[in-house]
Amino acid sequence: MDPKETVLVIGSGIAGMEASLMLSKAGKKVYLVEKLPLIGGNVIKTGESFPNMECSTCLVAPIQQEILQDKNIEVLTVSNVQSVGGEAGNFDVTILKKARYVNISACLGCGMCYPVCPVSQPNNWEQGLIEKKAIYVECAGSLPNVPVIDSKLCLRLNGTEECNLCTEACMFAAIDFSEQDELIEIKAGAIIAATGFDTIDATEIEQLGYGKYPGVFTAYELERLLASNGPTEGKLRLRDGETKPETAAIIHCTGRDLVGYCSNVCCSYAARHAHFMKEKLPEIKIYDIYTDLCLPDKHYQKLNTEIRKTKSTYIYQSEPDKLNIEEINGKLKINYLDNQGTTSGLEVDMVILTTAIKPASGMPEIADILGINLDKYGFLQTQEGSIGSICTNRSGIYAVGCAEGPKDIPSSVVQSSAAVAQVMNLLES
Amino acid sequence: MSDKIGIYVCECGPNIASKVDIERIVAEISALEDMKDIELVVKPYKLLCSVAGKAYLEEEIKANNLTHLVCAACSPRDHDSTFKEVCKKAGLNPYMYKIVNIREQCAWIISDKEEATDKAIQYIHSGIDRVLYQEPLIEKQLESNPDVLVIGGGIAGMESALNLAGKNRRVFLVERAEELGGKTVHFKKLLPRQGITASSIQNKISEVNKNPFIKVFTSTELDKIVGFLGNFEIILKNNQSGEETELLAGAVVLANGSKEADPLDFQGNEYTQDDEVYTALEIEKMYNETGKITLKNGEIPNSVALVHCIGRKEVGYCSKICCNYLVKIADYLKEQSEKTEITDLYDDICVPDKEDQEYYEKVMTQVESVRIINSRVEGNKLHYTEISGKESVLKPDMIILASALLPSEENVHFADILNIDQHESGFFLESHIKIKPVSTNTDGVFVVGSTRGACGISDAVLQAQAAAGNILTQLIPGQKIVPEVMVSEILEAYCTGCQTCLEVCVFGAIYFDEERGISVVNEAICRGCGTCVGSCPSGSIRTRHFTNPQIYQEVKEALRKC
Ligand SMILES: Cc1cc2nc3c(=O)[nH]c(=O)nc-3n(C[C@H](O)[C@H](O)[C@H](O)COP(=O)(O)OP(=O)(O)OC[C@H]3O[C@@H](n4cnc5c(N)ncnc54)[C@H](O)[C@@H]3O)c2cc1C
Ligand SMILES: Cc1cc2nc3c(=O)[nH]c(=O)nc-3n(C[C@H](O)[C@H](O)[C@H](O)COP(=O)(O)OP(=O)(O)OC[C@H]3O[C@@H](n4cnc5c(N)ncnc54)[C@H](O)[C@@H]3O)c2cc1C
Ligand code: SF4
Ligand code: SF4
Ligand code: SF4
Ligand code: SF4
Ligand code: SF4
Repeated sequence: MDPKETVLVIGSGIAGMEASLMLSKAGKKVYLVEKLPLIGGNVIKTGESFPNMECSTCLVAPIQQEILQDKNIEVLTVSNVQSVGGEAGNFDVTILKKARYVNISACLGCGMCYPVCPVSQPNNWEQGLIEKKAIYVECAGSLPNVPVIDSKLCLRLNGTEECNLCTEACMFAAIDFSEQDELIEIKAGAIIAATGFDTIDATEIEQLGYGKYPGVFTAYELERLLASNGPTEGKLRLRDGETKPETAAIIHCTGRDLVGYCSNVCCSYAARHAHFMKEKLPEIKIYDIYTDLCLPDKHYQKLNTEIRKTKSTYIYQSEPDKLNIEEINGKLKINYLDNQGTTSGLEVDMVILTTAIKPASGMPEIADILGINLDKYGFLQTQEGSIGSICTNRSGIYAVGCAEGPKDIPSSVVQSSAAVAQVMNLLES
Repeated sequence: MSDKIGIYVCECGPNIASKVDIERIVAEISALEDMKDIELVVKPYKLLCSVAGKAYLEEEIKANNLTHLVCAACSPRDHDSTFKEVCKKAGLNPYMYKIVNIREQCAWIISDKEEATDKAIQYIHSGIDRVLYQEPLIEKQLESNPDVLVIGGGIAGMESALNLAGKNRRVFLVERAEELGGKTVHFKKLLPRQGITASSIQNKISEVNKNPFIKVFTSTELDKIVGFLGNFEIILKNNQSGEETELLAGAVVLANGSKEADPLDFQGNEYTQDDEVYTALEIEKMYNETGKITLKNGEIPNSVALVHCIGRKEVGYCSKICCNYLVKIADYLKEQSEKTEITDLYDDICVPDKEDQEYYEKVMTQVESVRIINSRVEGNKLHYTEISGKESVLKPDMIILASALLPSEENVHFADILNIDQHESGFFLESHIKIKPVSTNTDGVFVVGSTRGACGISDAVLQAQAAAGNILTQLIPGQKIVPEVMVSEILEAYCTGCQTCLEVCVFGAIYFDEERGISVVNEAICRGCGTCVGSCPSGSIRTRHFTNPQIYQEVKEALRKC
């Protein structure tokens, strides 16, 4: 393998996928390493995406398919980069490919194996709104459409008993308990880090009552409730799974002060939330409680203006850190300082928190392995004091997408395409 | 060679086999009345997409000398490309094959096995009918030119040029003005995250001028351009001497920038040259040229009002960078004199890059911030409404306005000659808002920087690099381009030359051949969308692989029993 012809991409979100496809088209061999069992990143959690309300699956599935069918791209799911030695143009990379216990080339994704599994666990990808089994796919339509077995929970793998139920259910002999974790060593000329983001834990902001009052939801919980492949198949319901909310409030800038930056996308996805909540439940009354509107693209302000006209009542609050939520007789009461600076109250059934974007878990570890710096917020640091760069402090390693800081899909793709330019020029020289 | 059609029915493990009667399919297809005169090979197979299945199929094509292939299997989304590859390997033209979906469209949705089998037979039958009308299509290879034309020598254009130029690729950088740099040359300082000093801009300019692979044309504009990805023919014109230069290039990066709006066009603002009212760009220029921000009498202002969002409502978008540069200007003013009292009248604060909020918060501790919902300048006075509804007036020594960034008026012209679309704001439209953010409708033409939408320098630079990434991977020196083969063609005998099709083709793929008096499709540009086919009053256009007879045959059989 010629390192000049090989690139390692870490993270298979929209940024990592687009970079991989571009490089493959130019004839490069790409190793795409993803820690989860599925590719696609955070975009596939959202049923639709702004600004054009396009179905996210329709947007991403063809890209995922293309990745999985591309002969130049080797997709390594449930995998982690373990070490990176060498230098730009000639890195030595070790990747730990964890056992999936399901043979990817034999499995057809028919789904017969998981209903029979006796072990359940919360499905964190679905924001804990439902459970999944010890053998699972995260959601309908996840790609590759192949389940994975959680070795800690599987009764057979953790030594509790000789359970054989999934093996018996599988007509394709795809379950393979003999699979072992595998260390893969590759050479790569360049590395693109596209490890994405997480959102803050809403319980950290106690006065918002998340975790205490069931009517308080995070943005991603709402995303999954609105998604047709989500736990409610797209029905908008409160936590009991039955009650339709009559009123809902979207609170902007949740955790903005805590993290110290604006998350860039929440003002825009809040508009999308209002749009689809109203579509699901035309009778619902929606409020947006905001301080600033950050709509940094030619397409976004128009979207916001339209939503404000017909779908949501925007309420200005003067001091976001004074906002608190209490539950009174089963209703949520939001107390906030209004445009006169006086305390006002708003009663609703449902609250959605636009929880701030933060660096992905495991970011310090991956930065350490790559030998690159984090910035003061914990995102990947690009060249300090540069007028626009995706270069990190280690030559040949580039940081793109939300791994570098909060941003929308187009800006993530811009960065990953920019990294491709750097990689092509580096490997050319 | 007489026709010999292979029909392979995939069981997909139990997925198809348990829900339709494979044996009956094989028997009935083998005995089709209307196929009596054609040789059919009909066989079931347990898993066609498996490694063994693909090898089997390849062997079958070769051993039976098949002229056509039908795979009755799953959705084309899953395995159309798999079987196409098999055809190529076996030496069968891939356009002589057809996949028929009897899994998602039959097995998985019809609970009654007999009914599902009937439908599968009918679909396979219609697939056979179609494949008989298919024609082999041959991929062509076109020479391509790796050189790039960059229009606009602002930061975006320069960055594109620097990322593209190399020993195998020349860049022609065309700048209308006498100097490179665009707006950025007027800034004394940049934002903290951009390293504050503006020397990086000067460095870029000299890097561009020194680069042996970049040919800079200043005082020059694009006069004419025709062509497509890999092959553009270009004429440049010097706007002072009138001298023309002819060039060839494979791609175009459009980076013609934006301009600061005149605040008098908005919000009922009224003031004159004599009033102490300035746009932010005027202040940047003043500070850069004189090192000071002063009133007309040369004195430093004691009080300054900074006003955000001038024209934002009218233009319908946020200019993205003005909240940031107003902080920078507040910083200039405080550096110049701590005593200057600054009032910042803002609508929203838009600081979407991670370091910006910190800078904003730091500077704003020294500034009086007022949240407003509207403002109007009248002479030296500023009328505004606070968020509480309270109307107020301010009469500071100096008023500085953050006026919207506007698209260039010339964009209409560029949209026309490059055949790309404009957004309703007048900026250019990306070919896909989210996943093709710097590409346009025309392959090989990219839009970057503030001509794509108002933005700051960092975004402009990243977009410029992104366009370079696209070009470096699409236009590789020495490599030929393989255009789409399922494209449209216009049959000369039927075309009346009415030119209706020219109007409907959004890709500008059709041109009118004056000599022959007919319209002609440029196959290198056509994407095979088929729009023109429906528009032609004389029915003289056909899209290869989707011809009327092909579609008719397939539909006729599929609907026979309905
Ligand atoms: C609630 C919400 C709604 C949004 N809605 C929209 C919208 O409508 N439109 C829009 O344009 N943008 C939207 N965004 C923003 C959008 O989600 C991001 O721009 C996009 O996901 C960024 O893509 P990415 O590839 O950088 O990161 P991600 O999508 O986060 O992908 C990163 C990938 O890397 C993997 N990974 C992480 N660490 C490692 C590691 N150490 N090793 C291997 N793999 C790793 C992750 O598992 C993941 O698959 C929204 C954001 C939020 C929070
Ligand atoms: C007051 C002010 C302060 C700012 N401060 C900052 C800051 O501190 N940091 C920051 O990030 N951003 C700042 N910006 C934003 C910054 O100016 C833009 O992001 C940047 O100029 C965009 O670069 P560009 O190359 O897209 O466009 P431009 O700078 O507009 O350059 C376009 C170039 O194209 C040329 N051109 C136009 N038409 C043609 C044609 N037909 N043929 C050939 N050439 C043509 C023009 O002459 C020009 O040289 C500021 C903006 C303003 C108004
Ligand atoms: S039953 Fe077997 S083939 Fe079906 S999804 Fe499970 S492992 Fe894959
Ligand atoms: S073997 Fe493990 S994964 Fe399979 S059914 Fe039993 S517990 Fe579940
Ligand atoms: S995008 Fe909007 S909601 Fe999100 S942090 Fe920024 S201003 Fe607040
Ligand atoms: S960047 Fe700030 S000042 Fe400029 S239009 Fe947007 S909100 Fe207004
Ligand atoms: S098929 Fe589409 S792209 Fe091709 S010439 Fe007709 S309208 Fe244009």
